[in-house]
Amino acid sequence: MADIEKEAANKETVIDAHNISKVYNPDTIPVYAVNNVHLHLLKGEFTALVGPSGSGKTTLLNLIGGLDKPDSGNIYINGVDITQLSSGELIDFRLKNIGFVFQSFNLIPVLTAKENVEFIMLLQGANQSQRDIRIKQLFSQIQLEDKLDARPAQLSGGQQQRVAVARALASMPRFVLADEPTANLDSQSASNLLDIMAKLNEEEGITFLFSTHDQRVIDRARRVIRLVDGKIVSDSAAVATEHA
Amino acid sequence: MILMMAWRNIWRNKMRSLVIILSIALGLFAGISVLGLYQGMMKSRVRNVIDAEQSHLQIHNPNFKKDYEPKFVLPNGPSVLKMVDALPQVKASSPRSITNGMLATASGSSGVQINGVIPDMEYKTSQLKAKIIEGKPFDAARKNQVIIGKKLATRMKLKTGAKLVLTFTDTAGNLVSGAFRVAAIYRSDNAPLDEKNVYVNIKDLDNLLNIPGAFHEIAILLKNDGDVGQVQQLLKQKFPGYQVENWREISPETDLLVKTTDQYSYIIMVIIMFALAFGIINTMLMAILERTREIGMMVALGTTRIRIFLLILTETIFITITGTPIGIAAGWFIINYFNKHGLDVSGMGGEMMSSFGFGTMIYPEFPIGKLFGVLVIVISTALISCLFPAMKALRLRPSEALAR
Repeated sequence: MADIEKEAANKETVIDAHNISKVYNPDTIPVYAVNNVHLHLLKGEFTALVGPSGSGKTTLLNLIGGLDKPDSGNIYINGVDITQLSSGELIDFRLKNIGFVFQSFNLIPVLTAKENVEFIMLLQGANQSQRDIRIKQLFSQIQLEDKLDARPAQLSGGQQQRVAVARALASMPRFVLADEPTANLDSQSASNLLDIMAKLNEEEGITFLFSTHDQRVIDRARRVIRLVDGKIVSDSAAVATEHA
Repeated sequence: MILMMAWRNIWRNKMRSLVIILSIALGLFAGISVLGLYQGMMKSRVRNVIDAEQSHLQIHNPNFKKDYEPKFVLPNGPSVLKMVDALPQVKASSPRSITNGMLATASGSSGVQINGVIPDMEYKTSQLKAKIIEGKPFDAARKNQVIIGKKLATRMKLKTGAKLVLTFTDTAGNLVSGAFRVAAIYRSDNAPLDEKNVYVNIKDLDNLLNIPGAFHEIAILLKNDGDVGQVQQLLKQKFPGYQVENWREISPETDLLVKTTDQYSYIIMVIIMFALAFGIINTMLMAILERTREIGMMVALGTTRIRIFLLILTETIFITITGTPIGIAAGWFIINYFNKHGLDVSGMGGEMMSSFGFGTMIYPEFPIGKLFGVLVIVISTALISCLFPAMKALRLRPSEALAR
C-alpha cells in the first residue's frame, strides 16, 4: 500500500474534478447527466470510462475537455480551473492541452491525412520543419506512412481513427480524451488502434481517458471507472488502493 | 491552410457551387451590359450634342441669348471667326444668324428657330448635309432655300420643293416675311430639335434681318474633346466681352443626364447584386448547416471563432470572385460585339429614343472605368452575404454540434 501511495504521490496530477454536475432541463424535468462526480487522473494513466448508454460518459468527457461547462463544481487541468475560463480562453486551452479522438473519426474531409494532422500544428503556430518532423514521427507511430496524401474518404474506418489519434497527439497535449474510439471499428481495426494507443501510453507516457462499452477496450485499460446515471459507482484505482 | 480549405470546401458540392457561381456571373454580365449600354447611349448622346447640335464651343454677344433679339449680333464677327479658325485645336467653325419666327404654309403654321448658315461651313460643323434624307443640299445659284426637319415636314405636310413663308422681326422690330422653298428634309437623332430648327442661307436671312455680313453665333468644333476647357479659356481671354460657352453650359440637361445615368447604372448594379446576395446567403447557409458537426469539431480542436469566420468569408469570396471573371468576360464579349455591329433599337421604341435625343442604333461600350466600382460592389455583396451564415456558424457550441 505504501508503494502505491508513494508512486501516486510522485505522479503529476493531470485532471482534478470536484463535485461536478451537469443538469439538462433544469426548469422542467431535471436530468442529471453528471451528478456530483469527483475524478482524479494522474499523468500516464490509461483509463476507461465505462457504463451503459445514457450513463453520462460523453457528457463527463465534454466537461473535462472544456467543450461544455458544468452547472456546479470545478475542473482543474494541470492546476487551471477550466470552469472559470471564457469561451475564447477555453479554445486556446484545448488547443494547447487536450487531444480529442471522436467516435465517428471527424477528420476534415477536404484535407489529406497529413493536412488533418498538420492543421492542429498550424493553429499552434509551429513552423514548417517542426511540423515535418512531428508528422513523420506520428505517422510512423500510427503505421500510416504510406497514407499521408490520402483523403479521409480514401481511408478505412480504422485508418481514419488512427489519423484522428495522430491529430490528437499532434499538439503534444497533456492528455487525450477519446469518446468511444472503437465504436465504429471492426475487431481487427479496434485491436490495432488499441495497440497503438497502449504503446503510446507505455512508451511515451501519454495520458488517455476514453469512454467505452467495448469489453476489448475495458480489458486493455489499466484503470476502469464505472458510471451509472451520472454517478461514479466504481473505480478500479480506488479498489486497487484499498486491496493494497 | 484556410485558403486551401475554403477553395476545396466550395467544390464539395460542385453542382450547388456551380449554380451560384453562374448566377453571380450572369448577374455581373447583366449589370455590366446595362452599364455598357448606358455608357454607349450617353456617349452617343454627347457625340450628337457636340457633332450634330451644339459643337464644342459657341461664342455669342452676351445679350443675345437673353431674348434672342436679332440686333445683338456678334461684334466684329468676321474677324473673330477668322481668329477662331486660325487656332490649331479647331477642326471646323460655323457662323450662324439666328432668329425665332413663324413658319406658315397654306395649311397651317408653326413656331421655329431660323438658322442662317454658310452651307459649306455648316456641313463641316454640324453634319447637316449628312442628315439630309430627302432633296438636295443648298444650291449656291438659288436664293431663299430652306432645309427643314422630318418631324416638322410631316406635321406641316411639307415635301421638297414645297413653298412656305417665314415671318420674324428684323433688328428694328419690323415684321418681315420671306417666301422660301423646301430644298431638303433632314432627320437627326433629336426629334424635338428637328421639329424646331430650320436652316436657310445666311445671306438670305441677313438681308431680311437687315444685318448684312453680321451673325449671332460662332459654333466651334474642336479636333479633340479634351481641348474644350483650354480653348474656352483661351477664347475668353482673347474676347473678354463675348460669351464663350462649352457644350455642358449650352446643354446642361445633357450633362445632367450623363451624370444621373451614371448613378442610375450603379443603382441597377446594386439591385442585381442585392438579389444575388440572397442566393449567396442561401448557398452558404446550406453549406454551413451541412457542416455543423465539422465546424463543431474544428472549434473543439482549438480553431478560434475568428478563423471559422475567416474560413466562411474566404469561401464566400472565392465563390463570388470565381463568378466575377466569367461575368466580366461574357459582358466584354457581348458589349464588344454590339460595339462593332451596333444594337438596333428602332423596333423597340425608336420614336421614344429620338424624342429624348438618342439615336436608334446604340453602340455599347465596355465600362472599363467603372470596373473598379463594379468589383467593389461584388466584393461588398460577398462580405455582406457571408455575415448571416458566419454568425450562424459562430453561435455553434462544440458539444452540441458534435452531437448532431
